Amino acid sequence: MAYNGFAGFGEDAMDGVETSGPKVTVRDVEQDRCDFVLQSCSLAMANSLRRAILAEIPTIAVDLVDIITNSSVLPDEYLAHRLALIPLMSKGVGENLNYTRDCDRCDDHCEYCSVVLRLHARCTRPGTMMVYARDLTVAEPRQDAIGTPVIRDVDGTGPLIAKLRQGQEIHLECIAKKGIAKEHAKWAPTAAVGFEYDPNNKLRHLDYWYETDAKEEWPVDERNATWEGDETAADATFDPDAVPSAFFFDVEGVGTLEPDDIVRGGIEVIQKKLAETIKVLGGVGAAGVDAMNGDQSPDAYEPAPADGGYGSYGALRGGATPYGTTPYGAGGYGSY
Amino acid sequence: MSETMPDAPTGEETYDHGEELLLGGVKKLVVLPGASSHAASFQIEKEDHTMGNALRYFVNKNPDVEFCGYTIPHPSETKMHIRIQTWEDTKTTAVDALRRGLEDMMEACDVISEKFTEARDEFDAQQS
Repeated sequence: MAYNGFAGFGEDAMDGVETSGPKVTVRDVEQDRCDFVLQSCSLAMANSLRRAILAEIPTIAVDLVDIITNSSVLPDEYLAHRLALIPLMSKGVGENLNYTRDCDRCDDHCEYCSVVLRLHARCTRPGTMMVYARDLTVAEPRQDAIGTPVIRDVDGTGPLIAKLRQGQEIHLECIAKKGIAKEHAKWAPTAAVGFEYDPNNKLRHLDYWYETDAKEEWPVDERNATWEGDETAADATFDPDAVPSAFFFDVEGVGTLEPDDIVRGGIEVIQKKLAETIKVLGGVGAAGVDAMNGDQSPDAYEPAPADGGYGSYGALRGGATPYGTTPYGAGGYGSY
Repeated sequence: MSETMPDAPTGEETYDHGEELLLGGVKKLVVLPGASSHAASFQIEKEDHTMGNALRYFVNKNPDVEFCGYTIPHPSETKMHIRIQTWEDTKTTAVDALRRGLEDMMEACDVISEKFTEARDEFDAQQS
């Protein structure tokens, strides 16, 4: 039986997908959107991609705000929060900017791990003064424009930050840093990631709630439902072994990254995770797990209990909580 | 790196652990106690369902693998556990199966990336 990992089992196709390897069709691209269909791919892989796109692509956002003067009606932290949510140009952040916590060029923050933006606005005339994202000035503009506010509206103002009355003033300095949306949503490159499979519910993964008729009450996405003539709909006979094979993605960016870069960035994120793990797995294989265990603690190896209860890792070593200092933490090979 | 235990079996002293990656003083990968050559549980630091579920799937695709499952034992700890058991009558060890799974997933990512770029270029060509 030919086994070639990602492409399934060849002729023997165990689950009917991945016999030909993944396939991608781009259906629609706009300035901030990319709609594509991923086919012959497992649900697990497609979901990994969705999750990576949604939460783990690095971007830049305001992280620290030093408020020098704020006599506006908005409290300092309110302003800081608003500033954090302003989209900043993030193309190239992944490669060209360090995480401040990992940056070895500075103790606090520097040009290699941050971008400083300043805002100084004072209302001197009667009436209301609007303070917009365009009023933010980048202290030292970078060649790759990382950290500049994304301004694309017709008036060229960008998002409104605050409104000032005569005599009120805002003067502050922001430090924008690299981060991911898993830590804070301000770093999210997307506003939403549309994800759908099996629009006609042929796999019965869904059990629709309805008042009188589920079909009437639950709208289907026509474009997805008729994808490649797949409208056979509900009366198709149910195949319990069927697996989803087409995944409809609709990536909608917030403007900090181009939609293509978001998709590629998502894949890169997954690959980086895998590479990291492969790297630590390194030479382990040569000597095998036994050696690894032996090294961890010469007498750590105990056969699994007769009742087959793996899962009781903690109990094997004297019943301390699994997450205590016992097996995992201090017990690792080497020391830290 | 490789700290030689005083009573480690001879011959294992030059044993290479690969590169150790410490994340805030915590190891990226730890083999949980109770492992044997064909059955092991790995603890992977700073990973979640994003890698867990797909990795489980790719490891399971290997015909030498008897069982593979993953879990996130506690929601507020960023640890992912993956259990791999391979058939005793095969040469594939649990570590081999894990590495194979990681490599397969990596390859799948390469293909998707490549196919996406192709499809994207094709879309542009169609538009013009």
